[in-house]
Amino acid sequence: MFGSLANYLSNVERCAEACSGQALSDFLSLRDVHVQNDKLHVAQPEKMVERYLDAPLDEVVGAHLKVIYYLAQNPTNYMEAYTQQAACCSAVVKLLQMMKDENWCLPVMYRVCLDLRYLAQACEKHGRSFTPGQILEKAADCMMACFRVCAADGRASEEETKRLGMMNLVNQLFKIYFRINKLHLCKPLIRAIDNCAFKDTFPLPEQITYKYFVGRRAMFDSNYRMAVEDLSYAFTHCPDRFGSNKRLILIYLVPVKMLLGYLPSKVLLQRHDLLLFHDLAQTLKAGNVNKFDEIVRENEKVLIRSGIYLLVEKLKFIVYRNLFKKVFAIRQTHQLDLGDFMTALQFVGVTDVSLDETHCIIANLIYEGKIKGYISYAHNKLVVSKQNPFPPLISV
Amino acid sequence: MRSPLEKCDFLQMAKIQGTCNEFCPNAEMKMRVRERMLHFFELKNGQKNVPGILVKEFTRSAADVKMPKGEDMRTMECLTRTVEYLLKEIVMDNRMPYRMAYDFIFDRLRAVRREIVIQMFDAQQTAKLLEPIVMFLAYSRYRLCDEPIELFDAKICDQHLQDCLTGVLRCYKTLDEDESKSRHTIRDIQRRCFIESVYQVFNLGCPESMERALTLPDHVRQDPTFKICFQMSLFYHQGNLYRVLMGLPKLPHILCALAATKLQTMRRRVLQMFTHAYNKQFDVPGSYLLRVMLIDTPEHLKQQCGHYGLEVSKEFERVPVLCSRSIVQTPRQTKVLHIPGAGSVPKAVRFNKSDFINSAETIKEQHEPFVDSKLKLVYLPEVLLLKKFV
Repeated sequence: MFGSLANYLSNVERCAEACSGQALSDFLSLRDVHVQNDKLHVAQPEKMVERYLDAPLDEVVGAHLKVIYYLAQNPTNYMEAYTQQAACCSAVVKLLQMMKDENWCLPVMYRVCLDLRYLAQACEKHGRSFTPGQILEKAADCMMACFRVCAADGRASEEETKRLGMMNLVNQLFKIYFRINKLHLCKPLIRAIDNCAFKDTFPLPEQITYKYFVGRRAMFDSNYRMAVEDLSYAFTHCPDRFGSNKRLILIYLVPVKMLLGYLPSKVLLQRHDLLLFHDLAQTLKAGNVNKFDEIVRENEKVLIRSGIYLLVEKLKFIVYRNLFKKVFAIRQTHQLDLGDFMTALQFVGVTDVSLDETHCIIANLIYEGKIKGYISYAHNKLVVSKQNPFPPLISV
Repeated sequence: MRSPLEKCDFLQMAKIQGTCNEFCPNAEMKMRVRERMLHFFELKNGQKNVPGILVKEFTRSAADVKMPKGEDMRTMECLTRTVEYLLKEIVMDNRMPYRMAYDFIFDRLRAVRREIVIQMFDAQQTAKLLEPIVMFLAYSRYRLCDEPIELFDAKICDQHLQDCLTGVLRCYKTLDEDESKSRHTIRDIQRRCFIESVYQVFNLGCPESMERALTLPDHVRQDPTFKICFQMSLFYHQGNLYRVLMGLPKLPHILCALAATKLQTMRRRVLQMFTHAYNKQFDVPGSYLLRVMLIDTPEHLKQQCGHYGLEVSKEFERVPVLCSRSIVQTPRQTKVLHIPGAGSVPKAVRFNKSDFINSAETIKEQHEPFVDSKLKLVYLPEVLLLKKFV
């Protein structure tokens, strides 16, 4: 059923001659069926490969065959496989550099880098003796070499430039940097894309992934308005059939929007199995501090696993703000007694709050612009502005 | 699966095991005595050039230096004794100002740290040696915070403290993952919880340290001291400075001291916040500010306000003042003594948004009375060596 090594190599040669990037990438993919062909499991394929292919493609294919060889061992030798894949990647860099005004082999680059990341992840999983993230970081370095070649391809025309490969690589690098928690390394990549003349013409799937990661990064920088913009783009443009991806985007989009005062619709949350946010939104709306803490506590594990625990904790002061807004609505006066706020807090279950703390919470809300007014200590009153004392959170 | 490093025979050969049982290996001792290169703390009764107890000093490896020999490296047991010696005898040696003891101990502990790396100690050994070093650096960070920068560089201390902390935390992670090593004693767990608490306090409000806290095993997360420290970090993250400040004096000794190094920044933020909240017309009582900002004397309040350009009234009023000596140490009980008429505070502070000098440097860290009184109650070596916790 499977062909011989010679068959495989002549197929590869044919793809290269026809400049079929996609077809060639399949021959170099670890997901392709040829990986199971034991006739290709050769420890030292160099001599054979050189007969069919020129440099540096022979290096690329040679390394790839070694990867398959090591993966086929029992037990699987992930470390050696990874090392060979890294060599394959370096050879791809040479291949790219050699091609002037051509970009047909970009799919090859995408595939090799993707497999590099998967192998790095497998190594981290199966081997415990190194610092976590070390191998992934090395993989990122290999990918950066590819990226540099692409980014530097300024002279070719728009159809033939290798710069078209930038976003795909940036997304792959993002995945690694997020995994090893080195978000600061994303910055130069974002800058490179921003400076790219055709940043809006990259394929849509890549744009969605890109915006998703950029949005998440903005979240970490507490740049919530940017985060909402990017994550919203990703969400609206992501086709409905990719339910799990849409859900993933929502997990970050919903809490960030809540920080800006938007409450999610129950229908939306139900559709994507995220009703936890509905409960949270209810407590936010009601200003119910105690219930908010309770829900966070109950869902701690889920929030931690999704990486939004700290973001959700930041909502605490929004809960206070909403509670105090209710007091204002009830009292209907611009001179509010601080005792009322204390009572309100106690009503929603904060039994150990002191007058001093109430002062401080309100002071903080004023300082952040969430309440417009000032406190008179002597009269124990909060005097709010006659115009818009509780400005919408998005404007703050 | 063996690590690629282990596979390399050359490195197998290079794993050196120390055999020296003295604080200072023979060769170095002979050389330094001969060349009269003894530190004050290594002299016998302070007598010049008369050798007392020498401790191996820190040297960087030069490019052409041969592989270190086993006899120049100390055994694990000896390194433990070295650390104990330094954190008992030298720490308590008050013939010289503390900063000189700090410099000496810092250097000698650095030599210990270097040996940990060269001898490639495992996670358990490394943790055992690094834990007291963390405690020493944390304590010293507070103790010397008011020294001028030429005599004590807080940034360098911070760097080393953070390095040691990340080092020991990495060990804990390794030990967590190694199920066969689940024979932890209660004492080991207590030590770990305390060090994890130090990490939280040192990195108050920092997302990375909080993320780590969220993934720790239950027996750490449920530890009372750790819970308080993590909660404090969470309050800081939420922006509830009040709770951070009120919780601070309840922390045990070293944790309280380390947290106190962040007080000046927090006080600045409180004042800044208040200039917006209490803007213009109405005066805010001094007593309230003393409470919230953990300030003990009216003079101190005047200093804080004056530094940032805020007006303090010339009138005083006699009010009950929180006596710092009366704040009791354990997290479980807080006793507050009011001594009626004992203090007079500035009657009021006027907060004007435009008065606050944004460009003013944050006031330099200082010793806080409530911290010093806590530290007076402990026997330092016991605490630094983690033999006693709360």
